[in-house]
Amino acid sequence: MTTGADVRDILELAGGDNDSGPISKKDIINSDKKKAKKVTETLTFKRPEGMHREVYALLYSDKNRDAPPLLPSDTTQGYRTVKAKLGCKKVRPWKWMPFSNPARKDGTIFHHWRRAAEEGKDYPFARFSKTVQVPLYSEQEYQMYLHDDGWTKAETDHLFDLCKRFDLRFIVIHDRYDHQQYRKRSVEDLKERYYNICGKLTKVRAGTGTEPKIYIFDAGHERRRKEQLERLFNRTPEQVAEEEYLIQELRKIETRKKEREKKSQDLQKLITAADTTTEMRRAERKATKKKLPQKRETEKPAVPETAGIKFPDFKSAGVSLRSQRMKLPSSVGQKKIKAIEQILTEQGVDLNPMPTEEIVHMFNELRSDLVLVYELKQAYSNCEYEQQMLRHRYDALLKAGGTVTPLSESSGAPDSQSWPGADDIKTEAKEQLIDVVGAPLTPNSRKRRESASSSSSIKKVKKP
Amino acid sequence: MSGGVYGGDEVGALVFDMGSYSVRAGYAGEDCPKADFPTVIGVTLDREDGSTLMETDGEKGKQSATTYYIDTNQLRVPRESMEVIEKLTELMFEHYNIPAFFLCKSAVLSAFANGRSTGLVLDSGSTHTTAIPVHDGYVLQQGIVKSPLAGDFMSMQCRELFQELGVEIVPPYVIASKDSVREGAPAIWKKKEKLPQVTRSWHNYMCNTVIQDFQASVLQVSDSPYDEQVAAQMPTVHYELPNGYNCDFGAERLKIPDGLLDPSNAKGLSGNTMLGVGHVVTTSVGMCDIDIRPGLYGSVVVTGGNTLIQGFTDRLNRELSQKTPPSMRLKLIANNTTVERRFSAWIGGSILASLGTFQQMWISKQEYEEGGKQCVDRKCP
Repeated sequence: MTTGADVRDILELAGGDNDSGPISKKDIINSDKKKAKKVTETLTFKRPEGMHREVYALLYSDKNRDAPPLLPSDTTQGYRTVKAKLGCKKVRPWKWMPFSNPARKDGTIFHHWRRAAEEGKDYPFARFSKTVQVPLYSEQEYQMYLHDDGWTKAETDHLFDLCKRFDLRFIVIHDRYDHQQYRKRSVEDLKERYYNICGKLTKVRAGTGTEPKIYIFDAGHERRRKEQLERLFNRTPEQVAEEEYLIQELRKIETRKKEREKKSQDLQKLITAADTTTEMRRAERKATKKKLPQKRETEKPAVPETAGIKFPDFKSAGVSLRSQRMKLPSSVGQKKIKAIEQILTEQGVDLNPMPTEEIVHMFNELRSDLVLVYELKQAYSNCEYEQQMLRHRYDALLKAGGTVTPLSESSGAPDSQSWPGADDIKTEAKEQLIDVVGAPLTPNSRKRRESASSSSSIKKVKKP
Repeated sequence: MSGGVYGGDEVGALVFDMGSYSVRAGYAGEDCPKADFPTVIGVTLDREDGSTLMETDGEKGKQSATTYYIDTNQLRVPRESMEVIEKLTELMFEHYNIPAFFLCKSAVLSAFANGRSTGLVLDSGSTHTTAIPVHDGYVLQQGIVKSPLAGDFMSMQCRELFQELGVEIVPPYVIASKDSVREGAPAIWKKKEKLPQVTRSWHNYMCNTVIQDFQASVLQVSDSPYDEQVAAQMPTVHYELPNGYNCDFGAERLKIPDGLLDPSNAKGLSGNTMLGVGHVVTTSVGMCDIDIRPGLYGSVVVTGGNTLIQGFTDRLNRELSQKTPPSMRLKLIANNTTVERRFSAWIGGSILASLGTFQQMWISKQEYEEGGKQCVDRKCP
């Protein structure tokens, strides 16, 4: 929203700074004398020419007109668009002057245009003439320290000459190396010889006491690195694809391995839980029979809390209903609830018994045990399924391999219906040598559960 | 001081770029050569009527004996052998009395003109196509790969095409008048009366210019290796020869330049011994140290008049990306203007000669007198 002051400012009309603040109630209602006061009080900071008015508004807004900038700066320069100063002064004369470049050894005189005023000054580009320091050795030093079997003096001299000419650009040196006259050397050979000599010379010349810093060149490492790079460079696309495929397969194997381990661990926990609860129960009953309450307490902490249901311990302050303690916690899954209900109804147990102290306790324990049994049964049927699968695969592989010795039939499967896709298994056997973990919950699983629950396994648990 | 900002210092140098097709010459510091004339020497044989016959020949020569007020001179020659170099140096200093002189390889200058000191320069001119690896401003001589398939090869193929079609190449100087004919019909034209006798070589030269004009305007490189069906669907280009014969060229325009890139299809070649342009590049890079290969592939500079054929760079890009491993970053640098691509070596020379830091590298007359011809070898890398 532009005010009149803004418009004036944009058009750069005069009278911009009078009262450029937003129009307030005071302005309208107030009398003149206060307005006059305001005008005299405020210092007008003239916006430097060339500065955009928004930038200026950031610096000196209406409210904090006298806030000093954090860094005092000189705004006279810099915000002006520099125009060519075609002044009325005379043109500074240029002369076609001779000059000599100090970087040249022969002192040739060239000519170029320069301002007459700058006559006599040094050639400014001479300072860019830098060379790499290549060490020079004398004949004596060579005989004493630098002698090497693989390198003649002439060859070494040639190498150092090239190093000096090409400023230690070893690739170019290698390219220009005289291969006909001397042996064929690789880049690493040249570097090795050069750095060896440099190292020895620095050591020799440094004198006693000082430990000079020497650059160690590892030629073997360089050679191996280059060889590996070559191989990498020359890989065909098929090799690249194969490598990627192998990496993917490896990842798959690793994840499956992890899954398997996790499952076996869970199973382990479940089994130990089951074992310890049964142990505990037996101990309890023995204890109640023999009236030794101490044993019970020592064995209680061994029960892992992941098995069964953990009923929340109700530590309520004040009055609460005992039936609350009987309520199943929400963490129990739908299937488990259904399983519990089913078993209870089959056995003729009331789903919601009267919540007396003893009944509540026993009922909770019962349900916990039921869940434990359910989990155990599931694990068991999973293992059975896996075993079946592997057996089928094994048979299929045997058949594919040519030997004909099928294993005897799998033992003890609770249900013996045909496994889905036995043919698929045979065809897949060759590709999926890696096993699949975790039985999918096919429609068979429900049948399995029912048959399991109706079997005598529960009765076994009840009996001590 | 002028040029202090960007490091330039004008000394008044001349830059010459001798190619086999044309010579480019001009002042250093400018962005395009002032003179660009064909590399032919015309020798006039004595005739009474003063007409100039030209016996055309190869290599260099200055058409006019100008006396230029110069200080310095920089030449750029394809480096054939030491004798040529030394002879050239001798010629320059003793015959022409030049104060200072410098020779530089064209590949290095082309790279400089594109702002790089390392890269692979692919120069496709009239006589040959070369791939030259340049590292840090120095040419790696052992990685240079040459192939004779270039502009002249294509001209030859075009000539054969015309012979097959039964069309006669008539240079413009012969034609007095022509009538317009419909497509494909033999041309109707009248020969000029009283033509002076011309030598065989000059006539050939003029015919070549006609063919080269055809080559430049009609030929195109296809995106993928030559395929009969694909080529038949390409749009045709109409071209009219100086004598009036006009025709639409369709599949042939793709077929001929494909010989450059994939010589197995081209006619007139003995077997598959020739390398296509893509192969030339990869072989050249393959001969270099593996550490610099990514640097070379990352700046492939394309120069030379022959590369201006439509579609050349795209096709080259495609071929190279197929041949290099997928992790390699490939970048083709090709200036789009004709001037820059044809003259990139000259432009590089112009840049180099006007640098302030270059002034110490000239071979002066004094040095030549002291060191003899061998100083060229030492000072010019």
